[in-house]
Amino acid sequence: MVDLAATFEENAMEAAAMVWRCERTPLALRKAVGLAAHKARGIVLSEPEFLGEPLIAGLRGLAGFIPRPDDDELATADAGVTEAFAGVASTGSVCVALGRPLVSATSLLMPLNIILLAKERIVARPRDLFDPDCLKGEGLKRNLVFITGPSATADMGPLVHGVHGPHRLLVLLLE
Amino acid sequence: MTESEQKPAGRSVSVDLPRDVANKSDKDRLLRAIRMSLDTESATVRTNTQLFNRGRYRAVAEFPDYDALKDQARRIKENSIANLPELIQILKSSVRGHGGHVFVASTAEDACRYILDVCHWRAAKMVVKGKSITSEEIHLNPVLERDGIEVVESDLAEFILQLADEQPSHFLAPAVHYSRERITALFKRKFKTDLPLDTGEELTRFARERLRDKFLYADVGVTGANLIAADTGTLMLVESEGNIRLASFLPPVHIAIVGVEKIIPTRQEMAPFLDLLSASAVGQRMAVYTSFLSPPLTDPAFALPGKPIKPREFHLVLIDNGRMRMRDDPVFRETLYCIRCSACLNSCANFQTVGGHAFGGECYSGGIGGSWEAGTSKIENARFSELCTGCTRCVNQCPVRIDIPWLNENLGDQLNRIEKTTPLGNALGSVTGAAAEDRSAPISKMFFGNYHYFAKWGTRFASISNAFANSGKAPVADGDDDAKDEKVGTTRALMERWLGVDHRRALPEFPKQTLVQGARRLVAPSSKGRETKVVLFADVFTNYGMAKRGLATIEVLRALGADLVVSESVPEGRAALSQGMISTAKQHARRATAELDSHVSDGRDIVVVEPSSLSMFRRDLHHLVDSQERFERFRSRTFEPVEYVVRMLAKSGRTPQQVFDISKSKVGYRLFFHPHCQQKTIGCAEPTVELLSALGFDVVTSNVECCGMAGSFGYKKDFYDLSMAVGADLFGQVVQQDRNGGARQLIASGTSCTEQLHAGFERTVLHPMELLASLLEVQESTAKLEEEDKELESDVASVKRGRKELSKS
Repeated sequence: MVDLAATFEENAMEAAAMVWRCERTPLALRKAVGLAAHKARGIVLSEPEFLGEPLIAGLRGLAGFIPRPDDDELATADAGVTEAFAGVASTGSVCVALGRPLVSATSLLMPLNIILLAKERIVARPRDLFDPDCLKGEGLKRNLVFITGPSATADMGPLVHGVHGPHRLLVLLLE
Repeated sequence: MTESEQKPAGRSVSVDLPRDVANKSDKDRLLRAIRMSLDTESATVRTNTQLFNRGRYRAVAEFPDYDALKDQARRIKENSIANLPELIQILKSSVRGHGGHVFVASTAEDACRYILDVCHWRAAKMVVKGKSITSEEIHLNPVLERDGIEVVESDLAEFILQLADEQPSHFLAPAVHYSRERITALFKRKFKTDLPLDTGEELTRFARERLRDKFLYADVGVTGANLIAADTGTLMLVESEGNIRLASFLPPVHIAIVGVEKIIPTRQEMAPFLDLLSASAVGQRMAVYTSFLSPPLTDPAFALPGKPIKPREFHLVLIDNGRMRMRDDPVFRETLYCIRCSACLNSCANFQTVGGHAFGGECYSGGIGGSWEAGTSKIENARFSELCTGCTRCVNQCPVRIDIPWLNENLGDQLNRIEKTTPLGNALGSVTGAAAEDRSAPISKMFFGNYHYFAKWGTRFASISNAFANSGKAPVADGDDDAKDEKVGTTRALMERWLGVDHRRALPEFPKQTLVQGARRLVAPSSKGRETKVVLFADVFTNYGMAKRGLATIEVLRALGADLVVSESVPEGRAALSQGMISTAKQHARRATAELDSHVSDGRDIVVVEPSSLSMFRRDLHHLVDSQERFERFRSRTFEPVEYVVRMLAKSGRTPQQVFDISKSKVGYRLFFHPHCQQKTIGCAEPTVELLSALGFDVVTSNVECCGMAGSFGYKKDFYDLSMAVGADLFGQVVQQDRNGGARQLIASGTSCTEQLHAGFERTVLHPMELLASLLEVQESTAKLEEEDKELESDVASVKRGRKELSKS
C-alpha cells in the first residue's frame, strides 16, 4: 500500500515547496501558521470550505491578520492562507478550488502562500481528480488550479523561485 | 561563456538581427539566420534545450503507462478535429451559458479587429498579456499599439523579447537563446539603470517590480489556452510564473485567444494531457500552475483605491486563420493534433544547435513549426523546414504521435513544386527516372534524391570517380575562405556550384566491387538443413558505398546457419523522400517491394544494413505503398543485422560466446558505439549494445540525438557548418571517452554517421557486423576477397600517385 502522504511530501519538497505535518487542532494550526508567518506585515485568510470554521477560527487572532482586506491591502500583504481542495501524491501538487472569496488572491498575490491540506484529500495522480468517482466528482465541476511549488522561471538564466506568484509555498499537511 | 567565446574563430560574424531574418520565404534569409544563430545564440540554445530534453526523458520514464497515455491523447485529438465544426457550436453555447462572449475569427485581421473593438468598448488603455503564441501568429501587439493601447508582455521571456524587439525562438521558452549575461546587458541598456543585475534573482526581482503595477492597473488581460473543453467552456492554462493567473484574474476583462484546434469535447478528456504536457515540455512532473477556468470568474474583479470596480467580462476569440483548411488536408490535418509542448524542438539536434531563430519562422519554430507557418500563412514561409533532416528523433517524443518528418517531407514536396522546372532539371529527371512531378526540384535535390543513379555509374568507374571526387578537397577550418577557394579542385568546385555538395566534406569512396558483385563471388553454402531463410536487401548506401558491411553481414548470418541470398540493389525511396520528392519516393518504394516480393513469398526475412533504409520498411513505407496490409507484409519481416543475429542466437539456443570469440578482436575491447538516429527511433539499437556487452566488450554509447550528418544534409554547402556544429556534441563525447583510458574503437551502424565520425577523427569506424565477422573463424572466401581488395587498393593508390605527379607537373 503506497503511503500517499509520504509520497506527496517527498514530491512537493522536490518541487521546492515546504511541507509541515500538523495536528488537526485549532491550537496546532494557529501555532504552525503563526510560526511560518511570524514576520508577515499582513496575513490574509481565504474562506475555507472543507476544514470548518472551528479549526481555522484561531488564525483570525494572529498578529498581522487582516479581517476584511481591501484590494490595496491584498496587493501589499505578505502571507495568504488558502485551503486546498486536494493534494496529488505523484507530483506533490496541491489543487485549489477557485471562486470562493479571496482564494485566488491568497494563492497568488502574496510572497508567502500557506496551503492547508487535509491528509485524506490526497489522491494518487493528477488525472484522478477528473474521475467522476473521485472526491464526489467535484473536480469535474469547479474552477481549479494545481499548484506545484512556488512560482518559478528559468527565463533569466538559472532557475529562480518567486516570480509573479508566491516566492514560498508552505503546505500544512493536516493529520 | 561570454558572447565572444561563442563566436567561431576565423569566420566573419553575422550582423543580422533576429527580426531581419524572421521571414524565411527566401533561401538567403534562411542561410543568414543559420549563420546568425551559430554566431550568437547556439551555446545558450544548446544548453537550455538539452536540459529540457534530458528532463523530458527522465519525466516520461516515470509513467508506467506512457504509451497508453499517448494513445489516449492521440484518440482525443483525432476525434476532436474530426468533429470540430460541431464542437465549436457546443463550445459557443457553453461559454455563452456562463455569460461569456465568443467570436470565431476566420482570419488574423478579423481576430485583431474584434479584440481592438473590445478594448474600445471598455476604454482600455493598457492590456497585459500572458504568453500566447497564437497572439503572435495574428500579430496582435502592433495592431493594439498603433491604436495607442499599451501592451505589456508579462511572461518574463516575452518581456525580454518585447524589450529586444525579437520574435520567439521556442514555443515554451521564447527567449531560450538569451543567456543571463545577455539579459543583464539588455536590461541595463533599455532601462538605463546602475542597479546590480548580475544574478537570475536580481533580474527576476527587477522585472517583477516593473510588471506588478501593470497587472494591478491593466484594463484587459489577454491569455491563450493549452486546451478548451467544449462541454463546459473550461480553459486549461499551463504556466510556471503565475502571470497567466494574474492576467486572467486581476483585470476586469479577460480575452482568451485560442486556435480552434485546441477544442476537445469534454473537460474530463483533459486528464491525460495533465500528465503529458508538463512532462513532454520541460520534463516537469507538473508545471507550477495548471489552471482549469470556466470564465468569467465569480470573484469580483480587482480594483485598487481610486479605480472603479467593473463587472467581470470574458471574451473567447477562436482563431481559424487557415486551420479549417489544414483540417481538410489529409496530411496537414495531423498538425492540428499538436499541443505545442515543444518535445519535438528539444529532441531535435538541429534545433538544439540553432534554435527557432534559424529553425523557425515569424512565429512558429522547430520540426512542427513549418506546418504551422505554412498552414497559417503561406508555403514559402515554411522554407526553414528544410532543417528537418528526417532523423525521426522527434517521432517517439511527440505525446500525440505526430509524424513530423512526414509533414516536413510534404512541405519539401510542395516547395519543390513551386519552383520552375529548368531544362537541366528535366534532363536530370529524365536520365535518373525521377517522377515527372518532382522535376522542378532544385538540381541539388535531384542529385541527392536520385543518388542511386549517380552511385551506380560512380562505382562502375570507381578508381577514376574516387580520384576525381576527392581531388582538391580543401582542408577544413583553415580560417581563410578566399585561400580555401583557391585550393578547391575543379571537380569539387563544379560539384559545389551545380550540385550543392560542400567542397569541405570528404565524399565516401565508391567500392571497387559492389555488395551484389562481392556476394556473387562468394560461394554460398548449401541451403540444405538451413531453416532460417534470409534475403539481404542490397540498399544503395551499402551496395555502392560500404559494401564490406554487407559482406560481413553475409558472412556472419551464414556462419549462424542462415540460408541467405542477396537482392538486386534498387532504391527503396529514402533518398528521394529526404529531398521531398514524394512521387519519386513512391516509385522507388514500389520498385524495392516488388524486388523483395518473391523473397518474402519464399518465406525469407529481410535484413537491411543501412538503418535509414531499414527505417523505410519499418516506418515510412506506410505512406508510400497502397495499403496497410502491404506495409505490414514488409514491416513485420524486416530486421537490422545485429537484431537478427540476436534473434538467430535465441532461436538456436546458442550463447554469443559459442559463435563469437572476443579474443580474436583486433581492435581491443573498448568500444564507442554511435547508433543511427532512425535505428534508435525504430527501437533496434539496443541489440547491438547488448550483444557486444554480452561478449565482454566495454561499450560506451553516444547519447546525442543525431550526429548532424543526417544522410545528405551534411554534404550540402548550405548546411555544412550547421552539420559540423551539431557533430561537435558527438565529437566531444568521443574525445571525453578517449581521455578516460585511451582511444576506443569507433563503431557506427549508419553510413552517414560513419562519414561524420571520419570528418571528426581520422580513424577507422567499423560497423558492428564487421566487428562480429572478425570474431568468427576466418572464412576462406572472404579472406580471398580481402586479398583481392588489397590488390585493387594498391592499383587505386598508384592512380592517385599518378594524378598528383601530373598536377605537380
